[in-house]
Amino acid sequence: MCNYFQEQTKDSVRQIIFSSLFSPQGNKADDSRMALLGKLVSMAVAVCRVPVLECAAFWLQRTPAVYCVRLARALVDDYCNLVPGSIQTLKQIFSASPRFCCQFITSVTALYDLSSDDLIPPSDLLELIVSWIFEDPRLILITFLNTPIAANLPIGFLELTPLTGLIRWCVKAPLAYKRKKKASLSNGHPPSKIAKDSTSGEDRDCHQLYSKLHLSVLQVLMMLQGHLTEKNLYGRLGLVPFDHVVPLVEEINRLSDELNPLNASKEIELALDRLAQALQVAMASGALLCTRDDLRTVCSRLPHNNLLQLVISGPVQQPSHGTLPPGFYPHIHTPPLGYPAHAAHPALPAHPALPAHPVQTFIPGMTFPYRPIR
Amino acid sequence: PNTPSQTFFVEFHSHLNGQGGCWETQSWAAVLMFCFSILQYEMYTIERNAERTASAGRLLYDMFVNFPDQPAVWREISVITSALRNDSQDKQTQFLRGLFETLPGRVQCEMLLKATEQCFNTLERAEMLLLLLRRFPETVVQHGVGLGETLLDAESIEDQESPVNCFRKLFVCDVLPLIINNPDVRLPASLLYKYLNKAAEFYINYVTRSTQTESQYQGSQDSSDIMSPSKRSSQKYVIDGLTEKSSQITDPWERLFKILSVVGMRCEWQMDKGRRSFGDILHRMKDLCRYISNFDSDAHAKYKNQVVYSTMLVFFKNAFQYVSNIQPSLFQGPNAPNQAPLVLLEDVTNIYGDTDIDRNKHIHKKRKLAEGREKTMSSDDEDPSGKARSRHITVNKADLANSIEVLESFKLARESWELLYSLESLDKEFTRICLSWKTDTWLWLRIFLTDMIIYQGQYKKAISSLHHLAALQGSHSPQQITGQGSLESQRALIQLATCHFALGEYRQTCEKVLDLVCCISLPIQEGGKVQEEQPKVKSKFRKGSDLKLWPCTSRAIMPYCLHLLLACFKLRAFTDSRDDMALGHVVVLLQHEWPRGENLFLKAINKICQQGNFQYENFFNYVTNIDMLEEFAYLRTQEGGKIHLELLPNQAMLIKHHTVTRGITKGVKEDFRLAMERQVSRCGENLMVVLHRFCINEKILLLQTLA
Repeated sequence: MCNYFQEQTKDSVRQIIFSSLFSPQGNKADDSRMALLGKLVSMAVAVCRVPVLECAAFWLQRTPAVYCVRLARALVDDYCNLVPGSIQTLKQIFSASPRFCCQFITSVTALYDLSSDDLIPPSDLLELIVSWIFEDPRLILITFLNTPIAANLPIGFLELTPLTGLIRWCVKAPLAYKRKKKASLSNGHPPSKIAKDSTSGEDRDCHQLYSKLHLSVLQVLMMLQGHLTEKNLYGRLGLVPFDHVVPLVEEINRLSDELNPLNASKEIELALDRLAQALQVAMASGALLCTRDDLRTVCSRLPHNNLLQLVISGPVQQPSHGTLPPGFYPHIHTPPLGYPAHAAHPALPAHPALPAHPVQTFIPGMTFPYRPIR
Repeated sequence: PNTPSQTFFVEFHSHLNGQGGCWETQSWAAVLMFCFSILQYEMYTIERNAERTASAGRLLYDMFVNFPDQPAVWREISVITSALRNDSQDKQTQFLRGLFETLPGRVQCEMLLKATEQCFNTLERAEMLLLLLRRFPETVVQHGVGLGETLLDAESIEDQESPVNCFRKLFVCDVLPLIINNPDVRLPASLLYKYLNKAAEFYINYVTRSTQTESQYQGSQDSSDIMSPSKRSSQKYVIDGLTEKSSQITDPWERLFKILSVVGMRCEWQMDKGRRSFGDILHRMKDLCRYISNFDSDAHAKYKNQVVYSTMLVFFKNAFQYVSNIQPSLFQGPNAPNQAPLVLLEDVTNIYGDTDIDRNKHIHKKRKLAEGREKTMSSDDEDPSGKARSRHITVNKADLANSIEVLESFKLARESWELLYSLESLDKEFTRICLSWKTDTWLWLRIFLTDMIIYQGQYKKAISSLHHLAALQGSHSPQQITGQGSLESQRALIQLATCHFALGEYRQTCEKVLDLVCCISLPIQEGGKVQEEQPKVKSKFRKGSDLKLWPCTSRAIMPYCLHLLLACFKLRAFTDSRDDMALGHVVVLLQHEWPRGENLFLKAINKICQQGNFQYENFFNYVTNIDMLEEFAYLRTQEGGKIHLELLPNQAMLIKHHTVTRGITKGVKEDFRLAMERQVSRCGENLMVVLHRFCINEKILLLQTLA
């Protein structure tokens, strides 16, 4: 099969055969279908069969996310868990089929959402993905840049970019690792000194990787505005959907409640700093379409964080340009949905269960009158 | 920290100490810079919308220095640079231009260069670079020639049909002067000649662009109005891709000759200082030709170019000057709309003179023809320049106010042409240029060349040139050909008639004349007075070798046609052999401008008397002149010689008829008397109408007579 796809010269024929073989049909055969696909793609990675990888990349775009995640797990099992050191083979795919790499990252971030210790990405996988993205952050945008896009994305499929998933990784990682560590301690099996040292060393490496990844994600978010404008999608396509930000914030909220804030204050601050940075940049570059009011409501129960507080308040408030003719001057940095110049913010709903830590308080009318520094 | 903005920056600053590790710090720095760029941009937006030029300019400068890769900055710069290219005077555009002016020169220069790099449309890119080159002459050295070549390439890539296109306009009018006037730009002579060639082609085509081309640019919605000349001239000419303002070029000839002189200076021609007239330039070129025997040697190659280009431009300029005056409607621009077009024709006003002289001349010519049968062109093998010098062109002051200048232009153009063809090497170069410019499709030039050839007396050549002209005219304005009364479009036909006549080809002359008369619409006011003004003494000396610029109007052309017809039939009528038909036609035609042809009429009467009888059945249809009628009535009397006249249609049949009923003589006499009486009552009829009818109704008969 691998040879057939390799030798088929017509792209369209190859695509059709591939999707007719591997599109899930919702019947019993789907399991063997997926098993076969896993083997095929795994082999294609091993012997670097670019046409198969390209087909797989398209398949990942057009197949419901639940199946994509299964393919991702199959590959991760083969290359991260089964044979140690084989991850190097997967790493080389970067130059052969960036499109596949991009889709692979998206599916992997959908799989490992850090909701439990099991769903923390293996460190080999993390290292792989960070090395890819750090080498060329634009890898994240390959599918987005090469696909004709309608403003309404279908539900139940992978997102156009792994941005949301990667933001989730970076933001949740400090808390998730802290939880994992806490769990292993409270299990009553204090690890041997050697094991403990190796684990903590490994975690420290991971922290470094998440830091690096976070920087790359921010850089990609910053370059998004140009791409969105170029594709005439600025303000029309939320690449970081607000609907996905809401559960993320909820999870952070839950995790920080779960961990003892006194013991995990550093981790909580790091997570919130990263969240605030990502939100600020995503909003400003038009990747996140929401008002600051929306954000304020969502983040209201989070523990206090200076930067998040600033982000929610917003930078300089736009004076309204009622006197200017329409289209006179676009505020390219203002999310098109716009937010009220001076938000008549409704009183925050009182929460029955007050959190154990100070919450984000909104200071009305707090703006940042800009004074040029010179 | 007190103020929120301070909080903001302190918050960031506290994280820039590397505590969170290298990557974490970089993230903070990146977000800080990003937010800062946004803040700066938003600040700029506020200043800009409040139209505070100075502070907005300062912020733009900061953004350009700090965040040169921000798309927002680039969008802003492209808005500003397009305002700089814009003609518009609205407040917003002016503000943006003012904003740009507040920036330091170095930044302006850099900004324009970078904006140019971002621009993928050749035209916009060129306009942007031009802004740069104009403002910063030192950049011309680096970018000038490249821009010029890009424009010339674009022209061929985009398949521009006309040399008058937006790319060429920018090259010739905007880029080229910057290049050649910049002392630091050194160009090889070959490139300078190429540019001069491109400039000349552009300006000549621009100046001579036809009104038809213009109407193509106008929408079709008011096509009916386009025909009216006043409307036509009021509409502005716009080159596709350019603005109206940018499409207007003042003093195109002056600009072209300026380029010629700069290129000449750079190519080290034999130049002298000061402005010279076209006559001076031509004179100097003639001198150069005399001194330099061999233009093909390398040492003299530049002088060959000097002679060719200088003479060529003098030629085109003066040929245009001539044509634009004799047929102003061909071109756009502020031409006097009420001046009738003129057409160069052989002068035949001495038509009423003694026939013997004419006959001798033509007999001489015919003999000559017979002698040199192998030579196809009878008159063409005479030395054209020798003959040309002796010719004189008359024109009425009323028809052309600046006739002296126009005739001087005609002369200069002719002499330039002759100089260009006087040496093989010049001829070769000039022909090459003409071919590349496709000058054989230029209607206006064809008009000049035809007139020049007619002037040179090379009528055979003129006839083929006229066929070419008619074809060009047909392709230029199909709707005008059919248009009634637009004799302008019949210029070729009129001149064909005049050429055939000069060649002694009377039947063809007659044919063309009669075709032409069909195009003349009635009523025609009689223009007798104009002809009376002809100085007769002069024409005696010139013996018919004069030319005249005639107004191309029915009023002027109809008499000319009648003259030509008379001239054709006159020769046949007064030969030794008898030809009553021709003689009758002559009598009909002699009514025109009566009594100028009185002598000829008397000669005809003489001939009739000698013959003793005369038959012309069209007599009563077309002769209404009372003097003539009297004369013919007299001929029949005893005193008149009792000449037998058959002037009624089908008189022979009538005679038979009368024999049966009332006797021959009495009946015929009676009919003749009645016809005479009736004819006298027709004396008041418009003679032109009668003669027009004569030409149209008797076309076949007239042509048969000359067969």
